[in-house]
Amino acid sequence: MIAPASSAGPRPFFPFSAIIGQERMKLALLLVAIDPGIGGALIRGEKGTAKSTAARALAGLLAAVDAEARLVTLPLNATEEMVAGGLDFSATLRTGERAFQPGVLARAHGGVLYIDEVNLLDDHLVDLILDAAEFGVNIVEREGLSVQHDCRFALIGTMNPEEGALRPQLLDRFGLCVEVASERDPEVRVTLIERREAYERDPGAFARACAEEDAAVAARIARARAACRGLRLSTTLRGYIGELTMSRHVAGHRADLVIARAAIAHAAWQGRAAATVDDVLAVAEMALLHRQREALPPPPPPPRDDNAEEPSARPPDQSPPRDPPPAPMPDQDGAGTAPPPPPGDEAGDSLHAIGETFRVKRIAPVEDRLRRRGSGRRGRTRTSEKQGRYVRSQSCAECRDLALDATLRAAAPHQCRRRADSRVAVVIHREDWREKVREKRIGSFILFVVDASGSMGARGRMVAAKGAVMSLLLDAYQKRDTVAMITFRRREAALALPPTASIDMAGTLLRALPVGGRTPLAAGLAKAYETLSPALRRDPTVRPLVILVSDGKANVGLDGGNGVEDACRLAERLGQDARVRWVVVDTEEPQGVRLRLAHRIALALGADYFHVEDLRATDLVQVAKGQG
Amino acid sequence: MQNNIYPFAAIVGQERMKLGLILTVINPAISGMLIRGEKGTAKSTAVRALADILPQVEVVRDCPFHLAPVERGAVCRDCARPQCRETDTAARKIAVVELPVGATEDRVVGTLDLEKALREGVKHFEPGLLAAAHRGILYVDEVNLLDDHVVDVLLDSAAMGVNTVEREGISFSHPARFSLVGTMNPEEGELRPQLLDRFGLCVTVEGSRDAAERVEIMERRAAFEADPAAFLSRWAEPSRQLAAAITAAIARYPAVTVAREWLFDIAACCIEVGVDGHRGDIIMLKTAKTLAAYHGRAEVSREDIEEAAQFALPHRVRRQPLQDIAREVRGPRPTAA
Repeated sequence: MIAPASSAGPRPFFPFSAIIGQERMKLALLLVAIDPGIGGALIRGEKGTAKSTAARALAGLLAAVDAEARLVTLPLNATEEMVAGGLDFSATLRTGERAFQPGVLARAHGGVLYIDEVNLLDDHLVDLILDAAEFGVNIVEREGLSVQHDCRFALIGTMNPEEGALRPQLLDRFGLCVEVASERDPEVRVTLIERREAYERDPGAFARACAEEDAAVAARIARARAACRGLRLSTTLRGYIGELTMSRHVAGHRADLVIARAAIAHAAWQGRAAATVDDVLAVAEMALLHRQREALPPPPPPPRDDNAEEPSARPPDQSPPRDPPPAPMPDQDGAGTAPPPPPGDEAGDSLHAIGETFRVKRIAPVEDRLRRRGSGRRGRTRTSEKQGRYVRSQSCAECRDLALDATLRAAAPHQCRRRADSRVAVVIHREDWREKVREKRIGSFILFVVDASGSMGARGRMVAAKGAVMSLLLDAYQKRDTVAMITFRRREAALALPPTASIDMAGTLLRALPVGGRTPLAAGLAKAYETLSPALRRDPTVRPLVILVSDGKANVGLDGGNGVEDACRLAERLGQDARVRWVVVDTEEPQGVRLRLAHRIALALGADYFHVEDLRATDLVQVAKGQG
Repeated sequence: MQNNIYPFAAIVGQERMKLGLILTVINPAISGMLIRGEKGTAKSTAVRALADILPQVEVVRDCPFHLAPVERGAVCRDCARPQCRETDTAARKIAVVELPVGATEDRVVGTLDLEKALREGVKHFEPGLLAAAHRGILYVDEVNLLDDHVVDVLLDSAAMGVNTVEREGISFSHPARFSLVGTMNPEEGELRPQLLDRFGLCVTVEGSRDAAERVEIMERRAAFEADPAAFLSRWAEPSRQLAAAITAAIARYPAVTVAREWLFDIAACCIEVGVDGHRGDIIMLKTAKTLAAYHGRAEVSREDIEEAAQFALPHRVRRQPLQDIAREVRGPRPTAA
């Protein structure tokens, strides 16, 4: 028999009290340990900042406070029946009665569910966890079982935003959110190196040396837990919390509730008899960081209620420094200086730096249920090879990818009857056969068609356009897309970058792309068709996405014809292929007289149309809509 | 049987790559190395040749999880081979386990033991490649082409040295601490940042630009292919010497000391070049200590620290989006005397 996941080997985890710095992260974890009702914590930050170390160290503390409240780790590759619970094959075999094997959710009940790299978790598991967290009950209806059990847990997740964003629904589910970064103080860094070395030299001895301090923290958590129950917030403070969340344009009421609970937990942790404004301010940023929209007005002044029972210890103008708003996905430093223009270029050409990069709206290719080949994460697809993540099983007549575990579970209840006339332990009939349903995320083929004509050079348009293309490239990188790039200027279009998975090459090319000359838009579109055709022939299941970046001011036709007319005629023809999705990014100056030629092209193509300034995923609400 | 592996000691040039691999072998806590470079630069040859010079470690005899004697415990209670508990220990060459790019997830993390399930009707965990690589080297050729979901699995277990399995009816976890050695050709796409950070060291290799060296490479290769046995016996002594140097360095490593002021140099260097997180600092120190141990010194020198920066930092320097990975990293500036 296999016991539930147990601690592996005698190597102890790095102790909580030995973690240096990262005070806000530690505070968030402590608050969650004191009151799991806060709803857990999300730790975002660059790699190598002790995120996972801290989360796992918390497990040790929790065990010391309450043996029942454990920290259960959910691996990214868990299968559904192991998360929700399913049929216990061995027990069913023995008794002939369907027996329930509790899953990860059952084990996390009353404790903490920990997910490392939570932004990489597959959607089907996210849905399961969200359902359970929403209602506090886990309902299992599978494999002839019908079970439900209580399931309340605090969710702790760690993530590196470079790897992609988190679904807004899941984001909101975390009570608190903290950003971590590396320490800048050399003294702190050196101490950190030394402790790590000491730990790795002898983990056991290191843990023993920290045991007393850890025990003290655990005892303080236990005291705070008990004290929490007796603490209430004054009406004045509740009003203040309301003002605070409203001033931050936070959607919904979850933030208010989280701040209230966290403030009480913080007061209990500080050993105060009542929660104060300081407690609210200490926790507010953690509850608002992932919920507020872009604008960041200063917080309202704390309540000036002279006969309030808790006078503020600190005048309002000394409130703790505010966290910066969540950093946009790509590094803002993208606006680097451009290299000098290549020599020998003809007069009139100019070279523009890459403008500011930003997180782009979600753009997905045509979706379908075709079985595909490939790897990436823009879309999800069922896969026909024995590749991809095994997510669930289904019964099958012809079985090429047998799900042995599911097949055995299907066969188990019938064994008492079948075994009578057989000498093997398990008799499997054809109707028990189950096959694996695998899923993998697929990247797309994205073709950029970029206008590099002289008109793009005016008034920083190319800077903005390059910024937009770079943002799209970064997005493509996170989704493991294949990209190619066509540029058009003067009289012709050229495939500047053949299809490649190396987004870096595309970036280098973009940086060095000069601007100048007339606008052969029709030639650009023709070249796009020329590039797409072989890709579609080679893999008929591919669904390319073409992003045309232009102001639409075509002035060179195909054979000396009219620029705009040629382009529109060609666009109409291209738009008829349903396999290709088109997106037009208009770079025309928003002020002054607008010709809206790019919009005409977009209509002809049947394309999604964005102005370059609308491409930005400005706030969480918009991202959510984009995902709808 | 392994007689047809080209000997590590006979590889011409590529000194940085060879030194990096040796450091990785001496000190598993460095957690491996990424080798970037174009095709045909002896990347894979070098990794496979390691088998030749690997030291031995003590393991529980016949343990499917390659546990060290002190690791016996929770895993053994749930293991399908309870007889291991009674048996003694054995010395074993550390393993180089190759993770093929097309490997399925089941093979990597482990799966339900088919035979036990059908014969005895019980669930048992059949260990996968991660268990096989415990305390050894997990080698991924073309690591940038690895499927996303397999990368996720590697990140999961590399983070804490534990493989947690919640699938196919099995709930199990076992230690999986391995050095990750990967080779890649950057022209075929870059690595995900989280995975990149898991490699302790990073070197970029290029084909030799020295005509004499190129001739030497061709001649040795030809000699090896013409008569492998003779070639191997010719290189037996250099190989033995290298293996002995590695074993000696392993013994020396725990006693290597470092002046505290140089830790400040390391921290200052990492802050200056702009390294994400703290793993760079930690790995840089370990690399410097390992270099000292390999060079037979009891104390880390300034040269060790400068050389360590070359290995530990190129892939950690915070880059502008889409900027190339650094090839050269400036070492720490000398502190004022």
